[in-house]
Amino acid sequence: MSTTSQKHRDFVGEPMGDKSVTSLSGIGEILGKKLEQQGFDKAYVVLGQFLLLKKDSEMFSEWLKDASGANSRQAGSCSQCLREWCDAFL
Amino acid sequence: MSLFMEDPAHFSKSRLKSDLVAHNVVLPPTKSRKEIYVDLHLKHIAQKNAGDFSSDDEDQEQDLADKEEEEDAEILVQSCLTDDDLKAALLKHGVKAGPIVASTRALYENKLRRLQQSEGQGHVNGVEKGVLYSDSEEEEEQEDGESGSEGANEETAEQSNQAQQGSSQFPSGTHSAVSNGGSSISSQQSFSITEMVQEVERRKSLSSRPNTERELNGSNVQEHWSRSNRPDTPIVDTMKNQSPYYTPKESPYKLKIKPSQEPVKDTIKEMFLNMEASPTGICATRRRPIKGAAGRPVQYIYPDTPTSPTTLERREVERRLVPIHIQILVFFIVACLLYMIYVCVEENSFNPFVALLDSPDQGSESEEGLMLQAKTQDTPVISGQE
Repeated sequence: MSTTSQKHRDFVGEPMGDKSVTSLSGIGEILGKKLEQQGFDKAYVVLGQFLLLKKDSEMFSEWLKDASGANSRQAGSCSQCLREWCDAFL
Repeated sequence: MSLFMEDPAHFSKSRLKSDLVAHNVVLPPTKSRKEIYVDLHLKHIAQKNAGDFSSDDEDQEQDLADKEEEEDAEILVQSCLTDDDLKAALLKHGVKAGPIVASTRALYENKLRRLQQSEGQGHVNGVEKGVLYSDSEEEEEQEDGESGSEGANEETAEQSNQAQQGSSQFPSGTHSAVSNGGSSISSQQSFSITEMVQEVERRKSLSSRPNTERELNGSNVQEHWSRSNRPDTPIVDTMKNQSPYYTPKESPYKLKIKPSQEPVKDTIKEMFLNMEASPTGICATRRRPIKGAAGRPVQYIYPDTPTSPTTLERREVERRLVPIHIQILVFFIVACLLYMIYVCVEENSFNPFVALLDSPDQGSESEEGLMLQAKTQDTPVISGQE
């Protein structure tokens, strides 16, 4: 069983609705602010970007690192979080 | 390492094509042979080079300019591509791209460039590889410049692109070069000594920051440390190398913080206890220091038995396992009891009938006694069953 954080489980457990970007696993206050500055103010917008990249984890991680300055771990965590959410609800 | 006389025959066809496009030469039909490209290349580009071969310095500049021109050519070619062309080019390399929109275009361009580079390297020989290898840094710089045009100060970020975590954690940078608060940071992780020196200088300037940011930094450092054991994050490790501020336990002998500059004690100060600056600013970081060994103080106290969630869950389950054994024992005891009672009941039921059959002459007292016994034993059984 993989070790997932509480944040990850919270996010993947229910439809994201109107949750903020900081509710994504791997995205904290500072990364969240950076994303909001670029217009990604809600989690579903980031989901949109993820889907635009055809749910490709690597490309999404790369984009996230470019856009917010996340490191590999954070980007990978966010990517996995979104992928599992999509598997569950999309 | 400079190639004054580039031999186009060693180039790949795609490179020849891009060179020709860069020099505004009409391309021959696509099915034409490589020799035709080589000839055209020699004709036009050799002409351009011939005129400038006057001195060594100029030659080198020309060479660099040529290289940059080639890079520019490739980049130009890519930026001139329409969305559909970009998609088709990616498809040629076997990559099925999603919709090419403003936010995804840069990514796909980078991907195409990387694919073209790897393809080009596959065709050329070692000499060319040397050229390409030297070009890669330039290309990366220009890559930065180009992707920077998309939305951020990539050029300034290129100077201080190390320690992305650091710059992301310090939004209000005292250094203008560091203030990447609002800008996106490239994924460059080129490690150079000059960057290290800048890092040390930055750290010294940042040492006069308020405590709150330090504590925030400290918590983030702890977070980074807790993840330091993951083997598949080489990028994180290299970034750690570039950000000594975040790897205090791994650079015990190179960096120094002048105590006069850090009058206030905080968690970071404790971690930097045995840091010494090197005059050259070079910092070599180790990956896993031996805490408490060789007289070094324990800089970060880990819990004795780090309990990950899996171990916690396992312990919970194990806590329930012992009671299960007890439950099984109790079950067997109860089963045995019931069996005994059943046997007794059976005996009592048989006995009176056996007694009656064998000795019908016996007194009814014995019968009654047995009956009474049976009754007394029956009633508790019945009450027990009820």
